[in-house]
Amino acid sequence: MIQIENLSFGYKRKKLLYKNLTLNLEEGSIYGLLGKNGAGKSTLLKNLVGLLFPTIGNITINGYSPKKRLPAFLQTIYLIPEEVNIPALTIHKYMHLFAPFYPAFNKEQFFSYLGQLDVKDQGKLNTLSFGQQKKFIIAFALACNTKILLLDEPTNGLDIPSKIRFRKLISSVFDNERIIFISTHQIRDLDNLIDRVVIVDNGSLLLNASITEIAQKLCFKTMSEIDDKSKVLYAEESLKGYSVVMENTNQEDSKIDLEQLFNGVTENPAKAKAIFQ
Amino acid sequence: MNNTFSPQRFGLLFKKTLLERPIQMFGFTGLLLALILITYAITKTISGFTMAQNLTFLWGLIGGSYFMASFVFSHFTSNAIGSSYLTLPASHLEKWLCGILIAGVLYPTVFMLFYRLMDASFVSIYHNSLDPAAPFYKEQYRSVGTLSFNGFFAWKVYPLFLFAVSAMLTGSLYFNKAGLIKVSLVICSLLISLYLLNHLFAKIVFGGVIEDAWPFHYVMIPVGKAEGSILLPEKISDFAFNMVSYVFPAILFITSFIRLREKEF
Repeated sequence: MIQIENLSFGYKRKKLLYKNLTLNLEEGSIYGLLGKNGAGKSTLLKNLVGLLFPTIGNITINGYSPKKRLPAFLQTIYLIPEEVNIPALTIHKYMHLFAPFYPAFNKEQFFSYLGQLDVKDQGKLNTLSFGQQKKFIIAFALACNTKILLLDEPTNGLDIPSKIRFRKLISSVFDNERIIFISTHQIRDLDNLIDRVVIVDNGSLLLNASITEIAQKLCFKTMSEIDDKSKVLYAEESLKGYSVVMENTNQEDSKIDLEQLFNGVTENPAKAKAIFQ
Repeated sequence: MNNTFSPQRFGLLFKKTLLERPIQMFGFTGLLLALILITYAITKTISGFTMAQNLTFLWGLIGGSYFMASFVFSHFTSNAIGSSYLTLPASHLEKWLCGILIAGVLYPTVFMLFYRLMDASFVSIYHNSLDPAAPFYKEQYRSVGTLSFNGFFAWKVYPLFLFAVSAMLTGSLYFNKAGLIKVSLVICSLLISLYLLNHLFAKIVFGGVIEDAWPFHYVMIPVGKAEGSILLPEKISDFAFNMVSYVFPAILFITSFIRLREKEF
């Protein structure tokens, strides 16, 4: 379990990126961390893995404090950064040197994931394209079977078929003992993948809700005209009138549009807070 | 699980560090040794054995370890490499020891073995080239010998080696990019400042008539038409020498460990 209590963090003491952020992340969920550019998504992930230390507040992950970077803690968490840098090694050599640090690493799974992501053994890894390198590191990270997997913009650099394969793979490896935390600004890449949405903006947590809760409380639909603006969280003009996100007072079933949800929550945080209270 | 030190985990880390970038690590060492060999051969021809031995021992040990130290902690040039290094499941002590072992023990051992072999070969070639029937054979034979690793010159080099390695290891953890250049600039600035401050202080104390003043060592003053040197009292001189040679590097080594533990990236 990840517990973030009153986290304040800033690269400069006077300019905090996060102010009193409190957030609990439970096992058995794939979280989508959404935020604008510069909102501090990568910074939050770095705080979770112990690459950055909170200015104020505490982070506890399964009883460990990330800032201590103890081996017992690091064995249970894997961060895939946005940029990957893979040494000039073959797949086997890489596995031989890095896998022993992760006791739960599974070789069969690793090669299976490489196959599923269409990464071929073509000599030195550094000669692969950026997308192939990224898929390689995703396969390795998943095969490490860490309890917590943090992915920072994992679909950046992946082509469309690879994004689909990535989504399928993440869904297939997920189990109830794991937390997968995916940070992205490419919101559509998380469609049908995540089961909880976390939205951060201006240093605050704007939303932490499950997909079920969102579907219960919000309704996503297209209207020719907006009758009652007081229930609307977000609206944008479309070919057929307006695409609207509104309070789901009539218990309607609708398909969640993450992009519209994100726009609604970031543009109208007070209203979103009131709906999800 | 031991979160401070595990021999097995340390072994894995050491192997990973050596083999992760084999071309850079071994190629770099090979290049350094080749340069030392060439420098020895050229300097011996131009200036003789003593100069060649001293020059290559000084630069091979200090310069080589200095470069190696900049290499072993050069993980912070990019986000991806830095993240991968700091989140690798090994303790800070193991990561730190690994750097110290490569730059401060492994490279110097390889260098000294190579140096002994190279030096002994050149000296042997010279000895074999002499004519035993020549009139000054014994004198010529005795005039050239291998450099003693326990001699006066070697013991002047070792403290400098400790200082260079400890300063570079610490500096690499403070400067993420171009650590080698930045640390070199800091060391040069520090030495120049120390020399100038010492000069200034000596001028104030001795009334502005000094010729030269070397920190922790001596002050040269004109005495009539001659020059006289005022040496630091032996006890203070020894204390200063030990501080600069051993205590200061030890502080830097400890600082590098603390810095690694508290490194944010």
